[in-house]
Amino acid sequence: MLAESVDAASAGIAILDEQNSVVYANAAFATQLRLADSASLIGTLPLSTWTHSASEQERHSLEDQMHDPGASVLSLKVGENITTTLYLDDRREGRRIVMVINDWTMSGAPRNVIAQLDALTGLANRTMYDKHIQDLCDIGEDNAASAVILLDMDRFKQVNDTLGHATGDSLLILAAKRMRSAIRSNDILIRLGGDEFVILQTQSKQPDGAQTVAERLVELLQRSFLINGHQINSGVSIGVAVLGQGTSNPEELLKHAELALYEAKRLGRSRYCFFESNLESNALERCNLELDLRRALCLRQFSLLYQPQKSLSDDSISGFEALIRWDHPVRGRVSPVDFIPLAEELGEIHAIGEWVIRTACQQATTWEGKQIVAVNVSPLQFNDDHIVTVVREALQASGLAPERLEVEITESTLMHNTEEVMQRLWAIKNMGVAIAMDDFGTGYASLSHLSSFPFSKLKIDKSFIQANQTPRAKALMEAILAMGTSLGMMTIAEGVETLDQYEDLARGGCTTAQGYYIAKPMAPENIEHFMRSTQTASPMSVS
Amino acid sequence: MDNMLYRLVYMSRNNITDDDKLQEEISDILDASQRNNRQAEVTGALMFNTGCFAQVLEGPHDKIQDTFERIQCDPRHSHVSVLAFDRIDARLFSDWDMAFVGQNAQRIEQFARFNEKSGFDAAVFDGDTVYQLLRMHLEEAERV
Repeated sequence: MLAESVDAASAGIAILDEQNSVVYANAAFATQLRLADSASLIGTLPLSTWTHSASEQERHSLEDQMHDPGASVLSLKVGENITTTLYLDDRREGRRIVMVINDWTMSGAPRNVIAQLDALTGLANRTMYDKHIQDLCDIGEDNAASAVILLDMDRFKQVNDTLGHATGDSLLILAAKRMRSAIRSNDILIRLGGDEFVILQTQSKQPDGAQTVAERLVELLQRSFLINGHQINSGVSIGVAVLGQGTSNPEELLKHAELALYEAKRLGRSRYCFFESNLESNALERCNLELDLRRALCLRQFSLLYQPQKSLSDDSISGFEALIRWDHPVRGRVSPVDFIPLAEELGEIHAIGEWVIRTACQQATTWEGKQIVAVNVSPLQFNDDHIVTVVREALQASGLAPERLEVEITESTLMHNTEEVMQRLWAIKNMGVAIAMDDFGTGYASLSHLSSFPFSKLKIDKSFIQANQTPRAKALMEAILAMGTSLGMMTIAEGVETLDQYEDLARGGCTTAQGYYIAKPMAPENIEHFMRSTQTASPMSVS
Repeated sequence: MDNMLYRLVYMSRNNITDDDKLQEEISDILDASQRNNRQAEVTGALMFNTGCFAQVLEGPHDKIQDTFERIQCDPRHSHVSVLAFDRIDARLFSDWDMAFVGQNAQRIEQFARFNEKSGFDAAVFDGDTVYQLLRMHLEEAERV
């Protein structure tokens, strides 16, 4: 049955039956495994005869791989300082071919097999995945038993960066073994690359089959690993796509699993998510929003509105807060709540933030009075020195007096790289610009943040003002106002909507108020008219 | 990686809910541990009750790693938490010890044979804070 050329081949070749018993081995196979002769190998089990010099780990690997019908590769010690490499082909009709190839015979190696294996874990690789997907496509319709389970190790980069690549590699090897232990023998485990693995199920009842495996793997991989004397806690995020649920095209499964994986990570990692059609439409929508946002600045779709701030001591308009608006020709007006986080993620916030500061300074110079203009600056803008230049140049270009500019930052600005952030804040303050603390009370409300820098103003979040009806909220509000007073900071209340709130704040010692009760945000061209009308109205409100 | 000795201490939640089944499984675990771990140069101690397992493993790094990987994939327990994984100079356990730790008198008697069979000697732990901690956790976790 076997040609003489196989008997005489330089590559070692053996064939195993269903029970993993050797039914054929050529002379080279025996030689390379340092065994007496090929004939006496027939009828033996690889685990009993091939592993005479193998380490325990190698024995385990061989045992694992004997049970796995997929192709794999493993190295095996066959003597003092002699290691050889075994290539196990797919089990076909019960039988499987095993090859042993030394480096010098590599030229004659079965390239198609080697090309489909991952050298680190011995698992199949991307090429093998594509082959299996192609097989699924060829089978056609009736393959509702198929699912793709995509796994991504959590915190893998951190392990690599802090403990080194060797530890990272060991983690991948151990993780792959845990994965293998949790899947069924007819599931196919593949390393896609990096810390991404995929399990292809083709013979399970779905979605139960995939769910069982995903659930087990999330649990199994969040358990500790012991590597190079370290205890390592990693974990895995999983995205699952089932054929027939969202797509009947096997080639689309991986894309769907990726969307589900993205969702699992978004929800906090160490969990699994199944693909749902809205994930695809959301991703598409996000993608379009991203494109539109990147173009918005060039297409001049942003504008600034200004909301008046009223001094509670003399009812005069002391300043305006600049608020960004995005008017998109198709989307209409997009809320900053929706696009600012995206702009921060994309890094667009730097360009947008710069535009806001320049424009606000420019427009404030056209106002008749000496009102200040308050500008919101994202924490991300404080991550480099450029913010200092931006402020300086905006003042120079517009000719606005520095005292009329107020930079509003939130507490999260002070959470990272505190020393460098402080230097930037001081550089801006030293130009004469005021720095205000925005949204105080909603985040950490940390007193050390307040004392770390001489903020000119404390801006109290509107949730405090609008909840002012309860005695507790009122007490809290009074405490914040008292704190501002004793630290020598002005206090400004946001979201003031009623006369009652306004008067309460005035009694509590709040210095400034902003909100619909005073005025809604307005376009720059309406400021002049607004100022004129408040000047005529103010004598009445005093009386 | 190296041949230095390491000691691993971990706790896990016992997923075997039935007392008789626990007897049987503990028996199996003891046999398997004694067999496997002698081969693997791993020694140690297992303390258990109806709620919880607490185990100490001692041996060369890679053997501990192998054994722990097998343990991690064992469905008889869950919520494995590692309390210590450190290099040591000498073993506390020369063999494989097991002990039932609990307050339920009936169970103490029921599981006493394991303490005898394995020759568990709590004295080797004396003064070891991890051991005190283990006992505390075990006693809290026992299903009465």
